[in-house]
Amino acid sequence: MPERGLRLSCRRLKDWVEERYDVEAIRKLATHKLVPVHQYEIWYYTGGIAMFLFILQFITGMVLSFYYIPHFEWAHKSIIEIVTKLNMGWFFRSIHHWGAQLAITVLFIHLFSTLLLKSYRKPREVTWVTGFMLLGISIFFGLSGYLLLWDERAFAAVRVATGGAGNLPFIGGFIKAFLRGGIDVTGDTLTRFYAFHVAILPIVSLLIIGVHVLLVQVHGMSVPLSLEKKPQKTIPFFPNLFYKDLIVWLVVLGIMVTLATFLPPEIGKRADPLAPAPENIKPEWYFLFLFQTLKLFPGEILGLNGETIAIILITCGILFFFLIPFFDRKSSRGEPSPVFTWIGIMYTLYFAVMTVIGFIT
Amino acid sequence: MKRFISTLGFIISSAATALAEEKIEVFPSVSYDQYTIYQNLAIFWIAIIGLIVIIRMKLREIERIQKMGIDKAEKDIPLLD
Repeated sequence: MPERGLRLSCRRLKDWVEERYDVEAIRKLATHKLVPVHQYEIWYYTGGIAMFLFILQFITGMVLSFYYIPHFEWAHKSIIEIVTKLNMGWFFRSIHHWGAQLAITVLFIHLFSTLLLKSYRKPREVTWVTGFMLLGISIFFGLSGYLLLWDERAFAAVRVATGGAGNLPFIGGFIKAFLRGGIDVTGDTLTRFYAFHVAILPIVSLLIIGVHVLLVQVHGMSVPLSLEKKPQKTIPFFPNLFYKDLIVWLVVLGIMVTLATFLPPEIGKRADPLAPAPENIKPEWYFLFLFQTLKLFPGEILGLNGETIAIILITCGILFFFLIPFFDRKSSRGEPSPVFTWIGIMYTLYFAVMTVIGFIT
Repeated sequence: MKRFISTLGFIISSAATALAEEKIEVFPSVSYDQYTIYQNLAIFWIAIIGLIVIIRMKLREIERIQKMGIDKAEKDIPLLD
């Protein structure tokens, strides 16, 4: 009898929703959306994994924010308390840490696969732009979250990163002062980074994710140039690809939990603005390619500051990378563009090699 | 000599204490807790593998039905209410 009542209530709720909203249209959209099947389809999963990790980051971040104190005198202590005193606190912090590492790794894989498969070509230029912006935001998420730890390594890393941004001509000084909230990295920087990390960046990223996902729905999945003219086999997004996505997400979740259990992130000594920077400090892995590039330049080039020249060149390189869909006209016309394939390979190799060198040296 | 040894002992013990203070435990140190965590991790993986097997079976069934072409609803089919 109660089962019948429950079924009736569910039926009423369903009718209530369907009378007000066009649920059938959403169902049709999900079942009618087709996804191409080919040898490169594995790269389609990276976008879904990134979104799954973003959701996990939001959840674990919310849990951590209940206990974190964004004040330079209490920040470090509050994290120690989260890790040592709270039930499962160490686990949530570790999951948040590894979630961030995996999300940025997956985003880089997603970016380079999009670049090499030329999925950025017409009409998906704006999708590329929003994706690139999301990667930039994720890196800033990482940097701002790193400082929240308020230990000596995070402090030194943020001092170097914001100092590097300050070397940009004209706007560098403004960016540096804006990020630091003053001349040097202080408690004001911590408050500012906290605001970025928990309020500004989540809102901006949610908006851009919305646009990115919407554009993917509008244009559909991109097919590589070499396969575009061949007859395509397709499968429905729902349920076929959705179930495959679920399997991949479960595996990613398992890997993340395993990493969080076996390799929980360390907590260093509390940051002391007056103490010298600790020896052999390295930035987070996704900044290593920049760090290694800066090392290649001498202190002075033709009487100019070497670091400034390096920062300008890196900025130009990143800007070119960002605007690649607008330069690669051939692939937009559906013609092969080997020059841009080689440019893509060079960018991918440079990033990978410099990151590895930075890691092992 | 005795004084030297006691001074050295003091330095080593204070350095060890300092190092012990610096290292913050980021994982439960009690072996019982560690055992529980590893056990839960193993159960978690078993659950994940189980779920993957179920989803895979469901997917195969869907693909089989799609191949047979009986997944599409017929038009103007009379409904029993």
